[in-house]
Amino acid sequence: MPQRSAVEATNPLREGLRIKNSLEPCVMVIFGATGDLTHRKLLPALYNLALEHPLPAGFSVVGFARRPYNDEIFRQQALESVNEFSRQKPVNPQVWESFSSGIHYLQSDFNDPAGYDKLGELLTQLDQERGTSGNRIFYLSTPPSQYPEIIQHLGAAGLNRNRKGWTRIIIEKPFGHDLQSARELNRQVLKVFREEQVYRIDHYLGKETVQNILVFRLANGIFEPVWNRRYVDHVQITVAENIGLEGRGGYYEESGAIRDMIQNHMLQLMTLVAMEPPIAFDADSVRDEKVKVLHALQPLTGRDVTTNTIRGQYGAGWVNGHQVVGYTDEPGVSPVSTTDTYVAIKTFIDNWRWAGVPFYLRTGKHLPKRLTEIAIQFKQAPLMIFKRSETHGQVEPNVLVLRIQPDEGISLKFGAKVPGTDMQIRAVNMDFLYGSSFVRQQPEAYERLILDCMLGDSTLFTRRDEVEAAWTFVQGILDEWKQQPSETILSYESGSWGPQIADEFMWRDGRRWRRP
Amino acid sequence: MTNDKATTQGIQIPWAGKPVRLEEVETQLVRLWRMSANNMRTAQNLNVRTSVLNLVICTPDIQTAQWANAQLRDLSNTHLARVTIIIFDSNDPTSSVSSWATLRCFPVISDVMRHCFEQITLHITGKAISATEQILRPLLKPDLPVYLWWLGDLPSGRQGFHDLVRLSNRVIVDSDRFFSSEEDIHSVVELMDALPNCAISDLNWGRLTAWRELIAQFFDSSELRPYLEGLDNIEIEYATNSISQDGVTETLLNPTNALLLVGWMKRTLGWTIDTSHPYPLSDSANGIYHWQLERLPQAGSLADGDSIKITITPRVHADMAPGTLCLINASSHIQGKKGMFSISRKDDPEHVVTSVILPEGPRPVRTVNMTIYKESRLLHDELEILGHDQLFEEAVHQVEGLL
Repeated sequence: MPQRSAVEATNPLREGLRIKNSLEPCVMVIFGATGDLTHRKLLPALYNLALEHPLPAGFSVVGFARRPYNDEIFRQQALESVNEFSRQKPVNPQVWESFSSGIHYLQSDFNDPAGYDKLGELLTQLDQERGTSGNRIFYLSTPPSQYPEIIQHLGAAGLNRNRKGWTRIIIEKPFGHDLQSARELNRQVLKVFREEQVYRIDHYLGKETVQNILVFRLANGIFEPVWNRRYVDHVQITVAENIGLEGRGGYYEESGAIRDMIQNHMLQLMTLVAMEPPIAFDADSVRDEKVKVLHALQPLTGRDVTTNTIRGQYGAGWVNGHQVVGYTDEPGVSPVSTTDTYVAIKTFIDNWRWAGVPFYLRTGKHLPKRLTEIAIQFKQAPLMIFKRSETHGQVEPNVLVLRIQPDEGISLKFGAKVPGTDMQIRAVNMDFLYGSSFVRQQPEAYERLILDCMLGDSTLFTRRDEVEAAWTFVQGILDEWKQQPSETILSYESGSWGPQIADEFMWRDGRRWRRP
Repeated sequence: MTNDKATTQGIQIPWAGKPVRLEEVETQLVRLWRMSANNMRTAQNLNVRTSVLNLVICTPDIQTAQWANAQLRDLSNTHLARVTIIIFDSNDPTSSVSSWATLRCFPVISDVMRHCFEQITLHITGKAISATEQILRPLLKPDLPVYLWWLGDLPSGRQGFHDLVRLSNRVIVDSDRFFSSEEDIHSVVELMDALPNCAISDLNWGRLTAWRELIAQFFDSSELRPYLEGLDNIEIEYATNSISQDGVTETLLNPTNALLLVGWMKRTLGWTIDTSHPYPLSDSANGIYHWQLERLPQAGSLADGDSIKITITPRVHADMAPGTLCLINASSHIQGKKGMFSISRKDDPEHVVTSVILPEGPRPVRTVNMTIYKESRLLHDELEILGHDQLFEEAVHQVEGLL
């Protein structure tokens, strides 16, 4: 072993470049390589990274799945994925040829120890041939039920760590089905991997605009003073989908909206809006503050669940000009299913910053449009000096909206005088549109997250205690819902903004949902 | 300010908008915004007024100004609040300032939303050129940074130019357009030293970014990083070609990109000139440069020696713009082992091939796309930075030291 050199620790040539830290060559092993996520997201993301060349030379992919493919077939499938789903089309033939030479396929059952032995041999071979130096990422892109099996086999084959390089594992959501299963999965994962090797992915955190929440809050001095109970009346977080199940009936029957959206994406968004400024922008400082928010969530149990949550299920209706069937008529769904496709929750964060400020979360399928936004509604001016008759009741509270998708941006609503002799006031929006202010194409969330994992930066990944704290909050609701009769699941017409009672839910508090 | 003619008599610049007297520019722009708002009401379009920066473009002639004017189309959705294109006409001895004003709007995403910015064009002749700063000052949008894009060679030592630079937060040049690379690099350094408060940047530095990234990637792996401290020979080739006019053939040489690359490596890796060596043997007239550099001896260094030989040579390449980098070969020796690292453009201007050869054998070669960006794209990147680009400025100083 050569003695340690003076420049070995860092690469000085990285100074001033977009990626400041060394991006070491590695192999990414994708379990479930023939699945939908790999096809739609992972392979196109990897190709984009190769095209824009942050991917290091020697980077390799090993697809691990049951289907009887070989390298050639898998490469062909990968090419089709890129051609169909990459944000940079058509594929660049020269770059593809070079990139695809590092794509391999290994056919095996996930429960076959021999498959993992073969994987170990292939990884050693790639280390030698492509200079990947023992650096590995295992990406679990299989149904969650197979995670424990794969993790256990990786450990048994000694692939969970190696002396030469680093080993990391990316685990897709859902991370557990409830609190108990999440804890059990964490236990199984951490029996084989150390926490710092584990990257629990929530692709929402990879979106540029989600990251911009932190920049908006923490890089601008003017917002922090008003970001608290003194000025904020309430916060609404909406994640609306206009699609239905898209063939995922089996999965959705088991999860419902609360597990599919609230437990992960929406609580993550809420933590970013509500957390205290971290002491530094690094993985643990940020995640420490997020966990504090989750711990401060007022638990919903018993009667509180009835008064503070609404669950619904879509019936037939019209969405985007198409007639759609009701949830129970979808393929793979039980005709007497009680799965929630719409959830609205009112919750409070019991800390000094947010005490008494309600956070309203709503999500649903077959709503009128696809959209994710966070709306922070401020309190009214303390004294209205303009007469109601003069203002025509037009004075509305200020609302700051952080739009995550589809038209990413930020808008601030405020009152302005309509030109003329009378004192007519109208609410106007001051808009910042991400797409029109920055011409650079935004990377896909998966590109950012895969790159972060390669760099060993887990800031945008979920830590064990975060996952469990989120489940603790959701579990209280799930337990109560289990006790309630099925009539408490309210039907709503597809193409509407959810059950009518969701509006009453807000009116009771003297508020109303935003019409996004 | 002497101003014989503050009107637009005689000169026709159709793309510049409506000729107006200098003192009426602001009024005219207000009128144009009002008309635009009326259009919006009738056509239901939404015009967006961006207010992030002033861009001042200095050009030596109308033709260059027209080219710059065309580039602005690609920048419409960037950050422009007001653009002032200045055309210097030193051939006309009469002192005059002619001005035009227009509002330029371009669709963003769809035609429903359009981004608009104000554009003023000034044609300045004679003695008025030396008063450009005073002419420009009242035309700048208040409280917004000023970016000065200087097209062409730098007028070293000209007072009027320094005044313009003093007015700016950032000066952008393009050393790719330098007629005399070495002289202009000296001018850039002089400017940096004379006016340290103004940030200077070069579009050519943006062209180098992808090359710097690829070179850095060679040494990202902890296994290969030791080779970084054993680098002992670097060869760089840049494209050149010839033009024939009236029976005279002229070779177009612009080694600035290659020089900047060497300056960057020298700065980043802490190399110094080996004063004991008979080099430099550069033949700058033919675009050939040689240097012998050395690294400071370090405790625990794995390098087999402290000397680094650097060579820059032109290569005739009819399909590439003069100055485009074609090849970088680097070799390194550590503990008796040799590593060779190469990036070559081959015949395809859009791609490069990277390769690594180690004692254990060659690593897989990789083809990487190396798009040659338009000036507007490079300019856009520069407009995103406000402060000093310390690394660039130090790299240029290193180049000047080598020359």
